[in-house]
Amino acid sequence: MLPLTWDIMVQGLSEVVKLVLLVATVVIILEALAYLILVKWLKLKNALAFMLILPALVGVAILILYPFGFNIYLAFSNMSMYRFKEFSVGLKYGIGNLLDVFRVPVLQRVTFFQLFLRTFLWTVINVVFHVLGGLFLAILLNRPMRGKAIYRTLLVVPWAIPQVIAALAWKCEFHYQYGFVNILLEKLGFQSVQWMSDPFWAFVAVVIVNIWLGIPFMMVTILGGLQSISPDYYDAAQIDGASGWQQFRFITLPLLNPILTPAIILGVIWTFNNFNVIYLVTGGGPMEGTDILVTSLYKAVFEFYRYGFGAAYSLVIFLFLLVFSMIYLRISGGFKGAWEA
Amino acid sequence: MKRVFVRMLVSMLLLAMIVPLSAFAQKKMTITLWTKEGEGEEGLGGETIYGEIVNLTKKFSQTHPGVEFEVVSYGVEDLRQNFQSAAFAGAGPDLLWTVSDHAGPFEAMKLIKPVDEVFDKAYIDKFVKPGIEAVELGGKVWGVPLNVGNHLMLIYNKNLIANPPKDTDELIKVGMELTKDLDGDGKPDQYGLVYNLNEPFFFAPWLGGFGGWPLDGTEPTLNTPAMVNALQFVQDLKFKHKIVPMECDYDAADSLFKEGKAAMIVNGDWSLSSYLTDEVKKKVDLGIARIPKVTETGLWPSPMTSGIYFMFPEYVSDDKIEVIKDFVEYVCSEEVQLMFLEAHMRLPALEEALTNPLVTNDPIIKGSSDQMVVGKPMPTVPEMRAAWDAIRPNQEAVMAGKAKPEDAAKAMQEACENLIREMKK
Amino acid sequence: MTHMQSQETTLPKTGFPTYSRTRRKALLKSASIHLVLIVACVIAVYPFLRVVSISLRPGVSLLSTSLALIPEGATLDNYRTLIFDKDFTIWLWNSLIVSVATVLIGLLLAATAAYAFSRWKFPGRRQGLVFLLLTQMLPPGMLLLPIYIMVVRLNLFNTYTGMIIAYSVGSVPFSIWLLKGYYDTIPKELEEAALVDGADPLITFYRIVLPLAAPALAIAGLFSFMTAWNEYMMARVMLQKASMFTWPLGFQRLRDQFTTQWGIFSAASVLVAIPVMLLFLYSSKWLISGLTLGGLKE
Repeated sequence: MLPLTWDIMVQGLSEVVKLVLLVATVVIILEALAYLILVKWLKLKNALAFMLILPALVGVAILILYPFGFNIYLAFSNMSMYRFKEFSVGLKYGIGNLLDVFRVPVLQRVTFFQLFLRTFLWTVINVVFHVLGGLFLAILLNRPMRGKAIYRTLLVVPWAIPQVIAALAWKCEFHYQYGFVNILLEKLGFQSVQWMSDPFWAFVAVVIVNIWLGIPFMMVTILGGLQSISPDYYDAAQIDGASGWQQFRFITLPLLNPILTPAIILGVIWTFNNFNVIYLVTGGGPMEGTDILVTSLYKAVFEFYRYGFGAAYSLVIFLFLLVFSMIYLRISGGFKGAWEA
Repeated sequence: MKRVFVRMLVSMLLLAMIVPLSAFAQKKMTITLWTKEGEGEEGLGGETIYGEIVNLTKKFSQTHPGVEFEVVSYGVEDLRQNFQSAAFAGAGPDLLWTVSDHAGPFEAMKLIKPVDEVFDKAYIDKFVKPGIEAVELGGKVWGVPLNVGNHLMLIYNKNLIANPPKDTDELIKVGMELTKDLDGDGKPDQYGLVYNLNEPFFFAPWLGGFGGWPLDGTEPTLNTPAMVNALQFVQDLKFKHKIVPMECDYDAADSLFKEGKAAMIVNGDWSLSSYLTDEVKKKVDLGIARIPKVTETGLWPSPMTSGIYFMFPEYVSDDKIEVIKDFVEYVCSEEVQLMFLEAHMRLPALEEALTNPLVTNDPIIKGSSDQMVVGKPMPTVPEMRAAWDAIRPNQEAVMAGKAKPEDAAKAMQEACENLIREMKK
Repeated sequence: MTHMQSQETTLPKTGFPTYSRTRRKALLKSASIHLVLIVACVIAVYPFLRVVSISLRPGVSLLSTSLALIPEGATLDNYRTLIFDKDFTIWLWNSLIVSVATVLIGLLLAATAAYAFSRWKFPGRRQGLVFLLLTQMLPPGMLLLPIYIMVVRLNLFNTYTGMIIAYSVGSVPFSIWLLKGYYDTIPKELEEAALVDGADPLITFYRIVLPLAAPALAIAGLFSFMTAWNEYMMARVMLQKASMFTWPLGFQRLRDQFTTQWGIFSAASVLVAIPVMLLFLYSSKWLISGLTLGGLKE
């Protein structure tokens, strides 16, 4: 087979090093240009800030805006298997694609609204358990104790394992005959569950896998928040005779809020768009019973060749997420800390 | 801190400069071959099929100086999706080594060129007829067969069952005898029959055995009495006769059989060499037979036969095509085909090679080709994709005991018609 | 200070229950906390241990009725085959350089931008932060085809350049959020003092703020590393050369349509998980202090 020779190592390395240097140079040139124009010439008050943001902004804009624009263009096309290279673009296709999202099943059985509902459930259940589990473990860890470092290290293992591998490992654990979960259930006197043939249980299985994957991130985030709360608050509360629950409710939670809100928003976005777990563990089956919006999007485009439809569909998904996040931001008072800092 | 950074920067710069510029010096022809073959299965010679391909390209390069190969392996689905994206963007491989199913979508998307434009008719005629017919669409041939088969068959363990059942009644009878609870925990731990229960490809033989088939040309024929009966049959295997496990995917079936915990397995020719390893031989004495005749209809179940094909992207330049032609002829030669047969149990597609004593004498290969005779070619039209996707969830529902065969058949037909309509939009 | 001592010191306040009863209660509480944590750790680690167990198993089957973690006839053969007979070391090397470059470029872009978001109240600041959040909302797969077309037009396919730029820029939004949150916690007074002394604002940033932000930089780096290390979909379309494969691509080659040599596959899984775990272990001292999302303001 191909051995890892110096040639290959140097070849890869030189490309990468060149790239890093090139990007560094481009960044410096961009910033210098911006400095000359904004600071020396226009003498803007916030010139320095704009200058510092410019390189990142340019990068993100190129990577997002062009593809995003192209996606909108595709949404107004009839690109599909039979019109793969010679597709037409027009308003009527755009409207047709958009209507189809709500009108016809996205795959074969499930409609958009079913998928939306399921994605909603998937997101809520996951995030709630991520936060509760993370909070629970963080509170347990947030005290002087023996073996704390070991616990902390072991508890982040699900986060550190590549998701592909974690998903495959769990798939085996949910195996009817060989999986650990059923063996455990039987030892406890329950019936074996057909995890991969019953849509309900398959959904439970993917939810369990994703909860397992997501708790460490929340735990670490919350632990950071807990450690930044001054012990003085608790001392004062204890003097006032507050119970443990009262301390949690009136000190811990409010002070955690600035950390929890962004963590929850990010958690919601990531879970909503989580493709890997479902695709790798159940593939959306059985009976499309575990498909969520993003897995059905992928299938519609890459398995059913519905490029135009898929582009419109992806825009709809994006808009839903956008509206949801904005509403949540409004209600929760959102990133107050972030805006005002 | 700063000095360290500067030093790092300087050393990086130096490294970037020592990169040889000679890469531009010589112009060679590189042929990029995409293959669906990986390293998941080791043949009897200890080489994976991916490894064999790399070796073949190296040998070919020796006789064709200046020609180099870039062999890239992707999963079957990845290969299809990647080729679509690559061809759309205008940067793809020069040659494809893939399954026959891909001919349909690639032809519809106009991504490959017909074989008739590359080879003359005399060459194409050297291959077995079904092998060519499988990739014939719109009167043109879209692939050169590497090997034919890829079909399911009944594989049994002679340690557990001396003679394979002749018909389905016997299958159920011996299946029930062989499904045993050995350790007395109230659950069977040896099974009469195992196979990938929820996979439509593994259901297809039964459908054929009851006289049905998913497509008639390009029209879905899923809501038929044959479909209902076949679904009823596989549902009964699980719930009524209980000769298959309650849940069984490919890996479970494979493991059970290898561990000697299943008397019979329905599996494909690709799996044969893995049942002949020393490790497995300790528990399994391999036998091959046709999947038993369906008693009600008197028909042999018809596994889908397909094959592995060379396909030619439409954009490949003429000077490359000449070299590619040579390579294809080399790999499809009798010598190489027999090598694949011996090491990987893959049946050759060359008419001539099929009459070789290797095919007619070896009991296992003979069993495999005997099964292939009653197989039916898998439809290559793009509509087949819709049929697969329509069957799968409904088959899953039947196997979960959540749908009656009649309703499932109806739902399949409806879903398939919808899908075809959406795909053609 | 151990947990028990802390209980004891609060004793005088509650006073009433006898010393030994409180002590026993504290012990019980401590023991139950340890018990819960141990159970949680087992759940966290067990699936991975099973992968390790499969990798030690002789033969090729994925599943086995045996639940023993050290299988019968355990052997390192799979690791040997993987390292010496497969292209595994190349895949690891490629993944490594791609990931490291992603981290470097990602941090380069994010560190300064986040500083601007943290210290200046310029018009468009809020919109900028929201825009960054929006980029996280794009459904995966949505931009795949257009990005690929872009890469081909720029003649960047079959290079790492296209991938690294996509990964690093993709990781920038999250890194900015994270770094901005951390900069916010660094008191401005430090920089103001330096500025009074006449130092340039940029020099102040590099000299004072950046070193203090090391934990957050480490964590932002860790996140970018993980994104690049695990990425598959983009690598799949961009790399069409076996010698350039990253491990997620190489892994697909270890499998065939129906058959997989699970022992080798698992051994590979263990070996690619280890570098990331080591990174986590190494950065664990920063992990908790560095992961500050949003401005924590008291």
